[in-house]
Order: sequence, then C-alpha cells, then structure tokens
Amino acid sequence: MDELSSPVLLENLFRREAGRIVSWLAGLLGSNHLQLAEDAVQETMLRAVQTWSFQGIPEKPEAWLFRVAHNYAISALRRNISFEDKTDELIAALESRRQYVEDVDTEENLRDDELRMIFMCCHPQLAQNVQIALSLKLVGGFSVGEIARIFFTEEKTVAQQLVRAKRLIREQNLPLVMPHQAELQKRLNSVLDVVYLMFSGGYAAHTGEELIRRDVCLEALRLGRLVAASSMAAPRVDALVALMALQAARLPARTDAAGDLVLLEEQDRSLWDDALLALGFSYFDKSIVGGEISEWHIQAAIAATYASAESAETIDWPAILEHYDQLIEMAPSPIVALNRAVVVMKVHGSEASLAALAPLERDDALRRYHLLPAVRGRVLAELGRFAEAEVAFSAALECDCTNPEKRFLQRQLEMVRSG
Amino acid sequence: MPQYMLLLRNNGDSWRKLSPDDMQKTIEKYLAWRKKPFVVGGAGLVDGSGRVVQKKSDSVRVTEGPFSESTEVMGGYYTIEAENYDEAVQLSRDNPNLDFGTIEIREVIVSHS
Repeated sequence: MDELSSPVLLENLFRREAGRIVSWLAGLLGSNHLQLAEDAVQETMLRAVQTWSFQGIPEKPEAWLFRVAHNYAISALRRNISFEDKTDELIAALESRRQYVEDVDTEENLRDDELRMIFMCCHPQLAQNVQIALSLKLVGGFSVGEIARIFFTEEKTVAQQLVRAKRLIREQNLPLVMPHQAELQKRLNSVLDVVYLMFSGGYAAHTGEELIRRDVCLEALRLGRLVAASSMAAPRVDALVALMALQAARLPARTDAAGDLVLLEEQDRSLWDDALLALGFSYFDKSIVGGEISEWHIQAAIAATYASAESAETIDWPAILEHYDQLIEMAPSPIVALNRAVVVMKVHGSEASLAALAPLERDDALRRYHLLPAVRGRVLAELGRFAEAEVAFSAALECDCTNPEKRFLQRQLEMVRSG
Repeated sequence: MPQYMLLLRNNGDSWRKLSPDDMQKTIEKYLAWRKKPFVVGGAGLVDGSGRVVQKKSDSVRVTEGPFSESTEVMGGYYTIEAENYDEAVQLSRDNPNLDFGTIEIREVIVSHS
C-alpha cells in the first residue's frame, strides 16, 4: 500500500464499484444469494474505510475492492456450509474467478453483469416504484437512506420494500438472465421507463441534496447509455439517452445561487453543460436513423428544440407545439396536455391556452397537482385577470410541491396582487 | 518538538451505516488530515482482532479480543508534533474521527539519548 502519495479517488468510485461488485458476485452466485453479494460489498467498503483512511489508497483501488469482496464471499460461504448443499459448487465458481479479480480494470466484462441486474430489477413481478428503488440500490450503489431522500419516503419504507423484493426474487427464483425475444422487448420498455423515472426523481427541484440529485440523474444517464451500447440497442434507447442528456445539461442553470427555480426561458444558457448537450445531440441524431418513432423520440425532439435555440427569444414554439400534438396522439396523458397548454400560449396566445386548460380542470389525475393552477395563474395574469390569477396561485400553493417551487409560486402570487 | 499520540476510537457501527459515497468521502477526509504538516506518522488497526496477554500467577494467559469494555473500538492512531497539549488539542479539532468517536491525546516521551 502506497503511503501518502495516494492517488485521488475518482468521483463516486465507491458507489459505482458497489453496483459493479454486487452485479458481478450475484452473477456468479445466482439471484438467491443477493444478500450475500450485498453483505460482501458492505464489508469491503467498511474495510476500505478502516485501512485506506490511515494507510492511503492502494495502487489499484478497484482491484482491491473486488479482491476483498471476493474473499469475503468465499469465507462467508465456508462459514455457512450448511445452508445449502450447493455451497461447494458456489465456492468453486468463485475460486475459478480469482485471477479475474486482479484484472477488473477492464470495464467491458462487467457490463453484461450490470445489464442482467437491471433487467432483473425491472421484472414485471415487481411494482414499478420497487423496480426503481432496487435498481438504484443494486446497480447504482445508492444507500437506503439516499433513496429515501430522493423520493421523499421514509427510510423504513424503502428498507421494507427492498427486503420484500429480495425475498420475492429468491422465492420466485427470478433469474439473472436476459428474457427471451418476445419478453425482451417488453422488458426493455420497462427498463427504459424505470431509467427515466429514476432520472426524473433526481431532476425534480428540491432544496439541498443537490449533489445526490445530480448523481441520480447521471446514474440514470449512465444506465441508459449502458443499454444503448449493448445488444439491446434500439433507436428508442438512443432517444431516451438524448432526452436525459439534453435535460441534464440544463441542471446547472435550473436554480440560482439562492436555490430558487429559474424558468427555462430565463436560464443563463452559458451555464448549460456543453459536453452533455453535445452528447444529447449526437444520440438524438443516432436515434432518428431508421423509421422508429417512439414517445422518447418526440420528448427528445422537444428537448432538442429548446436546446438548439440560441436564446429564449428564438425558441421555435410552433415546432414544439407540433411535437406535443404528436405526443398527445401517441401517448395521451393529462401531464402532456398541461405542458402542451403552456406551448399553446406561446403560439396561439393566452385565450387559446385557457381553452386548452379548461378540460384539464375536470381531470382527477391533476386534482392535487400544483402545476395545473400554477399554469392557469400564469395565463390569467398574462390576460390581465389578476384577481383570478391570485386565486389560481393560492390554489397551487395549497398543493404539495417542493420548497423552491413554493417560493416561486409565492413570488408569482405577490406579483399578481400588486397587479 | 514534543510529540503527541492521538488514539482514535470510534463506535464500530458508525462507519457501517454510511452509504458507499459517504464512505469514500470519509476516507478522503482522513487522508486529507493525514497530509497536514504536523502529522509525523500513524496507522490503522485491524478491526475485530487482537490479543491480551496477561501473567496470572506463574502462567501467561492470552485472551482474544475484541476486549474493550465499551462499544468503542480503536481504529488507529496518529503521531503529531505540537508545542504543548493546548496546541495538540487545537490541531485535533478538525480531525474527521470526531464525527464518529473520540480522540485520546497522550504526550509521547521522546528520548534524547
């Protein structure tokens, strides 16, 4: 171990390696030994804290982590020789990979393990919110506490969900293998849904926790790229990656120094992340080769239209409205209709927007959704109907929303009060 | 200059509860502290093992650790240089171990032979 001349660790190295090691060990041991794989990682990381903190970082940190986890798994199996007669086989399987542990720097081989793990996490037997939590935990290396913070749930709830999910995986023998052709496309769609929900969870603006939220967005992006680079590549996967990259590019500009929300049109475009924009556009170009047009394509096209405008004044609103019309036709949802109404205001004016909002007022799905009255308030204010706008913004403030959003709505409310 | 030994103890569970990301950040904090100019040396101690050797009447008795009466375990030690206890305390104030446990400071007898 190298004293003090220690290299600096890569950002998020532990989180990333936690996911890789769990996927790798579970791949060798089978999904009924998920817990053992997780314990091995937990003990390994702990050992790293205990030794690296004093002795410095080893020359090949990744190999160190894999080696310790590998050894832990073998000795845990030896200790528990009774719990299954297959133990000898498992130990032999692990032993056979001893050399591999030393050469883990080659990222390639681990990708398949991670892919199989994501596809298992998105098994239809598991509820969607559990699929998300499980993917974040097993593949992303996030802790239960971090997952709870991202989705505003109790730590206990997340922990219970994960325990139940792992029991189900064990009892139903959900395998760590890719599903077959017919099932594969369906599963791929669930994976893409989960990846985007993961991204949205991180993207939602909340006070504090900014770093962990960014990490979740980037992890979702990484998983999307992992799928896009695999044998499951499909234009819709590229479109989803494009969408996430283009949205993630805006993260640095989305809140101001005080942590307050900055609307897309008012964002300082020089703060957008150029590398992510370039990545987004290159995936977008890739996604439109071939005939497939998915929901992800249209969403990505909307994000690309925003991103390609030189300034807020030159956003091509009619093109965006066209995309929304297409999206409504393909996948109608009240949220899409609400977003469309905002664009209608830009293209056809406030009266038209108000008319587009009217049918949504009766939609049960939006009953407690703060953005409906918020958009209504904005349109009414635009029309100079300040008293009604005030009622709308007050109604929006009654709904659940994040603190930056609350402050934003409060400012709007004060503005219409003073006319 | 006088030397002081910093004995770092922590509740064995406090690190265990960290997320992988937080574990990495913790390591980085310890290593950053270790690089300070007044730190002369130090080492971590292997967790969960140890022996206590005692003489009982005529025979030497060996017991296996962990043997500390409290739940705290000694995770490691540092040797630092300081003018006096006040300064040694001052220098220890931002040691990351304080987030997880305690630090006992003892002056080391430096022989001048």
